[in-house]
Amino acid sequence: MTEPLTLGAVALAMEGLGIPEQVRGNRVKVATTPENLREAIARATSALACDHLVQISTADNGKGFDLVYHLTGVHRTVIAIAIEVPRDAPEVPSVHDLLPPAGIYERGIHDLLGIVFVGHPALARIILNEDWPEGEYPMRKDWKPHPDRFYGGVPKEET
Amino acid sequence: MPEVLVPIGPQHPALKEPVNFKVIADGEIIVRLELDISYSHRGIEKAAEARDFVRVVPLLERVCGICSHSHTTVFVKGIEEAMKLEIPKRAQYIRTIVAELERMHSHLLWLGVAAHEIGFNTLFMWTWRDREAVQDMLEEITGNRVNYGINEVGGVRRDMTPAVVKAALARLPHLEERIRTYAEMASQERTMLLRFRGVGRLTEAEALKYGTVGPTARASGVTYDVRKDDPYLAYADAPWRVITDNHGDVFGRTLVRVGELHESLNIVRHGLENLPEGPVRLQPPRAAPKAEILSRYEAPRGELVHFIRTNNTDKVDRLDIRTPTLANWTSVAVTLVGQNLADIPVIVAAIDPCLSCTSRITVVDRDRRETRTLTWGELRAHGIRFYREKEGI
Repeated sequence: MTEPLTLGAVALAMEGLGIPEQVRGNRVKVATTPENLREAIARATSALACDHLVQISTADNGKGFDLVYHLTGVHRTVIAIAIEVPRDAPEVPSVHDLLPPAGIYERGIHDLLGIVFVGHPALARIILNEDWPEGEYPMRKDWKPHPDRFYGGVPKEET
Repeated sequence: MPEVLVPIGPQHPALKEPVNFKVIADGEIIVRLELDISYSHRGIEKAAEARDFVRVVPLLERVCGICSHSHTTVFVKGIEEAMKLEIPKRAQYIRTIVAELERMHSHLLWLGVAAHEIGFNTLFMWTWRDREAVQDMLEEITGNRVNYGINEVGGVRRDMTPAVVKAALARLPHLEERIRTYAEMASQERTMLLRFRGVGRLTEAEALKYGTVGPTARASGVTYDVRKDDPYLAYADAPWRVITDNHGDVFGRTLVRVGELHESLNIVRHGLENLPEGPVRLQPPRAAPKAEILSRYEAPRGELVHFIRTNNTDKVDRLDIRTPTLANWTSVAVTLVGQNLADIPVIVAAIDPCLSCTSRITVVDRDRRETRTLTWGELRAHGIRFYREKEGI
């Protein structure tokens, strides 16, 4: 275990992509844009020696979708790279090639929020069941179950 | 021999929970694996948005029947961070004791399941018998055996009386002796060595690349352990060390878990002997201010993460859960490649997958256009027979 990353070191590595802020001890957050996401992840894994993707956190903020890529490494500092994706065109470049575990997380996010990860080799369903209707994304705040639609489980006439 | 698609599940790989693998095999050797984990999605993240902080804790306790304490602790600690609450020391200690007892019962359960998958049912009986002692302690401390119901925002719901502390301490020497026996068995017993060594290998570089967590990662020499990296509860006070191993196979994962059993026992003993005096809970405010928290926790299976957003209300605006098993699946897909079909049960069981199930396999013969089903029991029997003929065990 090496020394925690300083805010200055993160600021230097993320120069031109966003201004980092110290959220609390051992946590640094950088807000950037979807276009700069791959560059930010690449710099985090090289210049900042991050080798573990903790989580791709997601949230519907009403206007768009927030994605936060949490990475950590031998320094044990969690770097959060945050982006916001517009609601009408929810597209983000996939990072499965930079971080292999992202592949399975991106599939889950695509299921639940309908965010398209451009460049993902097989954005197939993984979390929702096979009966779930296409184009319905349950973790969106404006999603409501449709009374006439079948969402899986035992069909009504059989119960 | 042509490649054959072997769908396993959804009713039942390794543990009793639903997950579907499509295993592409060339003869006995696995070429590729595809995964479908959609069978037990219950919409808990969505349901959590509709419940206040009092009512959401019992819901989260039911994310998992084995790591029930993990899910509530990681959540309440996140909400407490958002509310900027300092929880009484005694409550932190009680949470730590329950957390480590949970890790012990989970690892003993795993050891039994792994033994069962290789046909070593004597060890299965022994570990599950000893696990009962841990379950009894949990019941005496919390009042429950599975969903302990001990956590709430602001502390714990039940104090430990001196009699409970004394009874728990009295059970530890016997458990310690049993754990020592398992440590010896894991490194010397012939059946275990034959079936675990070299199976499901993962190098340190691969373990990092594929994002493995918990004992799976630590068996490949990765030193990540949230209890040390981002200390919470009373882990900074207790004497313990992170267990790692360099074998990188199922054998290594067994040694790591047995080693962790010993460390957990020491943490429990330290907690019971040094339990601070004072209250066990404080009255939290009803609502949490606007905040974004990443709460990390070392569950028995590895790093568990709850991403929490609060918004000046008494409910979460968003709860995003990343369980350790989801992080470990990628590595299973990699470790299975090049292995024998007969090793599927033990390799899948080695990450200790936490989903819920009973199952069958459909074997598809592409040339003859025939399908037939194998039950999990038949696959297990095949694995045992395969090794009996090959190794004479």
